Amino acid sequence: MSARIKEMVRVATARLGGGQAGGGGASSSSGFTRRESTARLGGGGTSLRRQPQPMAPTVRTVYCNDREANAPVGYKGNSVSTTKYNILTFLPKGLFEQFRRVANLYFLMISILSTTPISPVHPVTNVVPLSIVLLVSLIKEAFEDWKRFQNDMSINNAHVDVLQGQCWESTPWKRLQVGDIVRIKQDGYFPADLLFLSSTNPDGVCYIETANLDGETNLKIRKALEKTWDYVLPEKASEFQGEVQCEQPNNSLYTFTGNLIMDKQTIPLSPNQLLLRGCSLRNTEYIVGIVIFTGHETKVMMNSMNVPSKRSTLEKKLDKLILALFATLFTMCVIGAIGRAYASFGCQMIKFIQCTQFINNDLHMYHAESNTPALARTSNLNEELGQVEYIFSDKTGTLTRNLMEFFKCSIGGEMYGTGITEIEKGGAERAGIKIDDDEGKRSANAVHEKGFNFDDARIMRGAWRNEPNPEACKEFFRCLAICHTVLPEGEETLEKIRYQAASPDEAALVAAAKNFGFFFYRRTPTTVMVRESHVERMGSIQDVPYEILNVLEFNSTRKRQSVVCRFLNGRLVLYCKGADNVVYERLANGNHDMKKISREHLEQFGSAGLRTLCLAYRDLSREQYESWNEKFVQAKSSLRDRDKKLDEVAELIEKDLVLVGCTAIEDKLQEGVPTCIETLSAAGIKIWVLTGDKMETAINIAYACSLVNNDTKQFIISSETDAIREAEDRGDPVEIAHVIKDSVKQSLKSFHEEAQHSLTSTPERKLALIIDGRCLMYALDPTLRVDLLGLSLSCHSVVCCRVSPLQKAQVTSLVRKGAQKITLSIGDGANDVSMIQAAHVGIGISGQEGMQAVMASDFAIAQFRFLTDLLLVHGRWSYLRLCKVITYFFYKNLTFTLTQFWFTFQTGFSGQRFYDDWFQSLYNVIFTALPVIIVGLFDKDVSASLSKKYPQLYKEGIRNSFFTWRVIAVWGFFAFYQSIVFFYFTAAASRHGHGSSGKILGLWDVSTMAFTCVVVTVNLRLLMACNSITRWHYISVAGSIVAWFMFIFIYSAIMTSFDRQENVYFVIYVLMSTFFFYLTILLVPIIALFGDFLYLSIQRWLFPYDYQIIQEQHKDEPHEYSRVQLPETSHLSPEEARSYMISMLPRESSKHTGFAFDSPGYESFFASQQGVGVPHKPWDVARRASMKQQRAGKS
Amino acid sequence: MNSHAAGTSNGGSGDAAAGGAARRNTRMPKYSKFTQQELPACKPILTPKWVVSVFFIVGVIFVPIGVVSLLAARDVVEIIDRYDEACVPSNMTENKLAYIQNETISKECIRNLTVTKDMKQPIFVYYELDNFYQNHRRYVKSRNDAQLRDASKANQTSACEPEKTTANGQPIVPCGLIAWSLFNDTYNFTRGNENLTVDKKDISWKSDREHKFGKDVYPSNFQNGALKGGATLNPKIPLSEQEDLIVWMRTAALPTFRKLYGRIYFDLKENDTITVSLNNNYNTYSFGGKKRLVLSTATWLGGKNDFLGFAYLIVGGLCIFLAFAFTLLYFIKPRKLGDHNYLSWNRHPAGR
Repeated sequence: MSARIKEMVRVATARLGGGQAGGGGASSSSGFTRRESTARLGGGGTSLRRQPQPMAPTVRTVYCNDREANAPVGYKGNSVSTTKYNILTFLPKGLFEQFRRVANLYFLMISILSTTPISPVHPVTNVVPLSIVLLVSLIKEAFEDWKRFQNDMSINNAHVDVLQGQCWESTPWKRLQVGDIVRIKQDGYFPADLLFLSSTNPDGVCYIETANLDGETNLKIRKALEKTWDYVLPEKASEFQGEVQCEQPNNSLYTFTGNLIMDKQTIPLSPNQLLLRGCSLRNTEYIVGIVIFTGHETKVMMNSMNVPSKRSTLEKKLDKLILALFATLFTMCVIGAIGRAYASFGCQMIKFIQCTQFINNDLHMYHAESNTPALARTSNLNEELGQVEYIFSDKTGTLTRNLMEFFKCSIGGEMYGTGITEIEKGGAERAGIKIDDDEGKRSANAVHEKGFNFDDARIMRGAWRNEPNPEACKEFFRCLAICHTVLPEGEETLEKIRYQAASPDEAALVAAAKNFGFFFYRRTPTTVMVRESHVERMGSIQDVPYEILNVLEFNSTRKRQSVVCRFLNGRLVLYCKGADNVVYERLANGNHDMKKISREHLEQFGSAGLRTLCLAYRDLSREQYESWNEKFVQAKSSLRDRDKKLDEVAELIEKDLVLVGCTAIEDKLQEGVPTCIETLSAAGIKIWVLTGDKMETAINIAYACSLVNNDTKQFIISSETDAIREAEDRGDPVEIAHVIKDSVKQSLKSFHEEAQHSLTSTPERKLALIIDGRCLMYALDPTLRVDLLGLSLSCHSVVCCRVSPLQKAQVTSLVRKGAQKITLSIGDGANDVSMIQAAHVGIGISGQEGMQAVMASDFAIAQFRFLTDLLLVHGRWSYLRLCKVITYFFYKNLTFTLTQFWFTFQTGFSGQRFYDDWFQSLYNVIFTALPVIIVGLFDKDVSASLSKKYPQLYKEGIRNSFFTWRVIAVWGFFAFYQSIVFFYFTAAASRHGHGSSGKILGLWDVSTMAFTCVVVTVNLRLLMACNSITRWHYISVAGSIVAWFMFIFIYSAIMTSFDRQENVYFVIYVLMSTFFFYLTILLVPIIALFGDFLYLSIQRWLFPYDYQIIQEQHKDEPHEYSRVQLPETSHLSPEEARSYMISMLPRESSKHTGFAFDSPGYESFFASQQGVGVPHKPWDVARRASMKQQRAGKS
Repeated sequence: MNSHAAGTSNGGSGDAAAGGAARRNTRMPKYSKFTQQELPACKPILTPKWVVSVFFIVGVIFVPIGVVSLLAARDVVEIIDRYDEACVPSNMTENKLAYIQNETISKECIRNLTVTKDMKQPIFVYYELDNFYQNHRRYVKSRNDAQLRDASKANQTSACEPEKTTANGQPIVPCGLIAWSLFNDTYNFTRGNENLTVDKKDISWKSDREHKFGKDVYPSNFQNGALKGGATLNPKIPLSEQEDLIVWMRTAALPTFRKLYGRIYFDLKENDTITVSLNNNYNTYSFGGKKRLVLSTATWLGGKNDFLGFAYLIVGGLCIFLAFAFTLLYFIKPRKLGDHNYLSWNRHPAGR
C-alpha cells in the first residue's frame, strides 16, 4: 500500500513538472515557475504557438491509417481487462489470496502435519474440510471475476466505425489498432485515446462530455488542427497520410505533447486535439480521429490501479485471534487435535449471502427514477460498513445532482418564489413539521424545466407589470437576458432552444429570463437578440437587439461579470452580476432600505443553501463611456500584464451601480442529502467533502448539506490571501512556495491551538476546516502532515476544495493511516477512483452514465441518501452479526478444544484424542455450522427503522464495542468454564458402574457423552445470544442437535473397515441403556449455561448496552413489517400546508450568503496547474459560434 | 465506460409512458420477507421477570432430581480393599519389583473383608487400577479390530507395535499392547467355608461380544514372547467368549479406573467376614500403580456415586437462591425498562 502512495506522490510531482520526488520545496517550486509562466501566456491569449517541446527519449510514432507500418512496433490491442485473474493465473493467484488468510494457512499447515506419522489424526479429516473451504471460496472469487469479465466483454465488443479502404466499417472496440482512423457519432463514446482530425462542425470543433472522467457534465470544447479539418468524408479521410510523434502512454489526463507530421510539415499537438477514452461526443454529428493510445495504454486506464484486494479489519483481527490461539496452543504443546476455526469460511458465506440477498435486494436502496438497485461488488467488507467513522464525499454528482435551477429571486426589495429547498425541508423535519412536497400539488403557474424551477404567479406571464416595482423587474430580467456568455443552440423557439454555457448557473439564469418573458435566442459577435414579451403592454411580443459593446469577463478575483450594451434608442447601460460583497461595494449611495432588505433576502437565500448573485446596472452617458472605452481598448491591446490592466480598467466603470435584486439558484442537492448527513453525523460519522470546485461553491454546498451552519467556527486555509498574491506578483517561484508554506504552517498551528481550546471550553462549538488544494499540497508535506491531521481530526467537518484526484486519495489515506480509523469514500466520477480505492470502503454512485467509479468501488448505490440504509442498517447489522459469529466461532472452538486439553492432562500428555476423528471433523461442519450462519443472516438487535431513528446506536460500531478484547475475554472465560464442566462432570462418574448391570463405561462412551453435551450446549448458547429468533433459528438449532444424534445413531451402528478402529461401535446405544446418560444430558448443559445466563442477566440489568435500552423501549410495538413510513395525509389544502410550513421555518438571519458563479471548470483549472494553456474562455466560444452562424447564414 | 448504460438517467419523473416502459424491464428487486430482512421473529428480552422465573424453575426442577439421585447413591454399599502393598511379603517390601517378577515366589494372598452393611445380590466384583494410563495414545491405538473380529484377517497386525508378531514373524492374535497387558489377578471368595462363586458371564457389553470379537477367532502366539505382559488366554476358547479380555479391551477414560470382574449371587449380611484368596500376579509396582478390590451393589443409577446427586442439589439450590437474590435486587434497585437515562449519549451528552 505504501508503495502505491509513493508511486502516487511520484506521479504527482512529475506532473507538476518538478522532476524528481523528494526534493521538497525546491522541486515543487520549480514546478511553479513553469506553471506561472504558462498560465500567463495562456491568459494573455496571444497567438504565441507553443514551441514543440524537446521530445522525451522514447517517442511513440504512429503512422496514420497504415496498419502494416505500425505492425512492427506491436502496440497493444484495444481490449481491456479489469479482471483479477485469468484462466492460467486463477489457481495460483486465487490460492495465494486464500492463504493470505491466516486461518487457511493454519489449516494447510495442520493438514501437512497430519500427513506425517506423528499425527494422531487421519489426514483425510483435515484435508477434506480445508478443500471444501478453498473450493467454495475459489468459486466465489471466480464468480465475482466472471462478472467483471463479462462487463469487460460488453465494452470490448461495442462497435465503432473504422475506415477500411474508402468506407466505414463497424468493428468491435477490441479490434481497434493504433493508427486506425475511426468515426464516432453523436453521443458515442470514444473507444480509445484519439487524435482529433475533423468534425462535421464547420470549424473543426467538437463538444465532449467528460462526466466519466471528472464528473463534470458541462461540455468541453476540442478543436482540431486547421490542416486536418477537411478529412470528414471517408473518401477524403482515406487519403490522409501522416505520422504522429507523441509521448509514451502516461496517466496524466490533462497533458499531451506531440507532433503531427504531414506533407513534410511538423505541427505541434496539444491536449486540445486529444479525445480521451471514456468521454462521449455531444452536439456534433460525428468526428473523425486517429487512434493514438489503445486499451490499457489509454490515459483513463493508466489512471486506474489494479483491483486491490481489500480485507476487513475485523477479518484481520480474526487472523490475529487465530494466531493467538495458535500460539497458546502451541506453547501448551497440544499438537494433537486442535479446534478447527472454520470461522473464516463461515464468515465468507454469511457475507456473501448478506451481499447478494440483502444489500442487492433492498427495496429501500432501489432508486426508481434511474432503475438502479444497490450493488455489492465485493463481499469482504460488509461489517466494515458498520464501523465507518470518516466519510469522504465527492460533491458533484454525489451530493448534488449537478443541476442548477433558478429557484427564487428578490427584485427591488420584494422576494419571489415559493419553493422550499432540501435544507429547509431538513430543518423543518428536525423541528417536527411535516412538509408536503408533492410536485403535482403545486400551483398551475409553476414551471419546471431544465435550469428553472420557480413558482410565483406574481411575476410570471407579465404579471410583474402590476408589481410595486415594474421598472426594477424589467432591468432585472434584461440583466439576466443580456449579461452572460451563453450560446443558444437549436431552433429559436421557446421550447426547442438549448443553452450552451460554461457553467450551469449561467444557463439557469438565461433560462429564467426566458421564462420571465425575456427570451434570449440569438447571439452575433456584436449583438444579443432578445424576444421581449409584455414590455410595452400586456401581450405584446417584440424582438429587440442589444448591441454588446464590451464584455468584462468573470474571474475568481473579480467575482463579477459585466457587459456594456447599447439599446436601440441609444441608451448605454452597464449590466453587472456578481457576488454580493463585490457588488455591494460598488453600489451608488442612497436607497438604503432597498439594500438592507435585499441583504436580508440574500441571507435567507444563503441559509436555505441557495447560490446567490446580485444584479445591478448603471446608466452611462456617451462621454463617460467613450473616455472609458479608450482606456479599455488600450488595456486590451497591451502585451504585458494584460489581465491585471483589464481588471483595473473594469474597476473604473463598475461603480455607482444601482442594485436591482438578487437571484437564488439551487444547486440541486440529491434528494435527502441534508437529512442523510444530519443522521450520519448524529451517528458519530464525520463527513469530509473533497471537491474540485472553488472554495465559495464548496462552502455553499457545505451549508446546503448542513455540514456547516452559522454556529460553526470555520478555519479557512486559502491560497487566495493578499500575502500570497503579493508574492505571486513578484513572481519568484521559490519565494511563492516559501510564502505559501509559511502561511499554511502558521494557520495550521494557530487553528490547531484554537481547536484544542474550543474543545475544552463549553459550550462546545462545531468546528469546520476549509482548505484549498494548493495549500493542501503543502499541508500534506511530511513536516506539516501531523498538524494537519491533528487539526482536521478535531474538526467536525472538513471541506477540501480545488483538490485533484490524487489529493483526494492522499487525504483519504492520511486519515486511514494516520488516524487508524475506518474510512469510506463515495463518488461518482473517474476523478474519485483513486479516493475510492484508497479508503477502506469505496462506494460508487451508480445509475448515472459514468461507470469508472462504480467499477472501482466495493459497493454501488444510486443515491447518496442510501448511505443511511447502507451504513446504519446493513452495515450495523453486518457488523453486529459478524462480531457475534466470530466471537461465537471462537467460543465454540475454544470450548471444544479445551475439553480435549483437560483430557490430555489425564493421558500422561501423550496427545491421545478425546473425541473420535469424525466427531472432531464434523463438529464445525455439521453439528454447529448452520445455526451460526442463520444468526449471521437474521440476527437483528433493533429493527431497521429504529436503527435509523437512533443513529447514535451506530457509535457502538465505531467504538468497536462488540469485538473488543474484553468481549473476547468474556467469551473465552465462559468457554474455559464450560469446558471444565464438560470434561470433569462427564468423567467424574466414569469410575463407577452405570446402571443395574454394573458394567463399566470406557473412554469412548465418556467422550461421546461429553461431545453430546458440547453439541447441545453450544447450540443452545447461540440461542441465548440471539436478539431475534425466527423459525429458522429453531429449525437450525434443533436440526443441528438432531443431526448429531442421527449421525451417532448411524455411525455407531455400522462397522466399516476403512479408517477407524471400532472405538465408537454401539457406544450411543450402550449409553442410552443407562439412566446416568439422561441425567447427565440434562445436568451438564444447564450447569454450563448457568454462568452465561448469570452474566447476561447481570450485564443487562446493571450495564445495559444502548441497543438493549432501545429494545426495551420498543418491545411492545408490533412487528415493523415495512420500513417505509407513508406520509400522513394532510388535512390542509396544499397551498395552506405550504404556507403554514414556510411560516414555521426558522427565520434566523444568516451570516452566510451563497454566491453562485461559473467555475472555470475542473479541467481547465488542472490544465493550467500543469502548465498547459487554458484552451478557451467562454467568450471565445461565444464569438466563434456566432461566426459559425454567420457563415452558415451566408452559405 | 459502458456504452449501453446510457439513456436511463434522463427519464424524468412524471412521464407516464416512459414509466410504463421502464416497469417492464425494471431492475427493481422483488419483495420478499427474506431479502428485506423482515422475517417474523420473536424478540426475547431478558427482563428481570424472566431472570427470576428461569432461575426459579431450574431450581424447582433440579432439587427433587438431586434428592432422588442422592438417595439412590446412598443405597449402594461398597467395600474397597487395597491389596497391592499388603500382598507383598514383609521381607520384600523394599523390592516389590523383584517380588512380582520372580515367578518362583507364590503370589497367593489372603484378604479378609468385613461387610459393613447388608448387601443384596447381585454383588459386583471390580478391580480398580490407579495410575494406569489405558488412555495413553500409544496404548489406545495398539490393537487391530479387524483381526479380533475376523479369523481370516489374523495377519492384520498394523498399529500393534511392539506386540505385532512373534520373533519368527507369526502374527500374534490378539495383537497389540492392550491385549498383551491383560489383567491377571484372580479372586476367590469364601464366607466361612461357603464358597461364594463368582459368575463371570455377561460382564462385558453385549455389543462388544457379538460384533467386535469373532466367534471363530482363537488366540494364537499370545504371550509367547520373552516378556509376558499379563494374563494368558486359553487358545481353545474363541475371543468372543474371553470376557475378561473383552472387558479389558474397552479402554478406560481416566488413569484410575475399575473393571468388572464378575458377580456374586449371594446376599451378604452386615458383619459377615469374607475371605478373599487372590493371586497377586499383575505388575503394577513398576509404575507405582495401586490395585484395589471392590465389592459393590448397584441401584438403577449404578454404583456408589453421589456426584450427580450433589451436583443437582447444589445447582438447584443456587438457582433458587439467585431467584430470591434477584427478586430482592429488583425491590432495592428496580430497573426501569427502557430508561432513557441509561443511553450512552444521554449519560455523556458531550461524548463524541
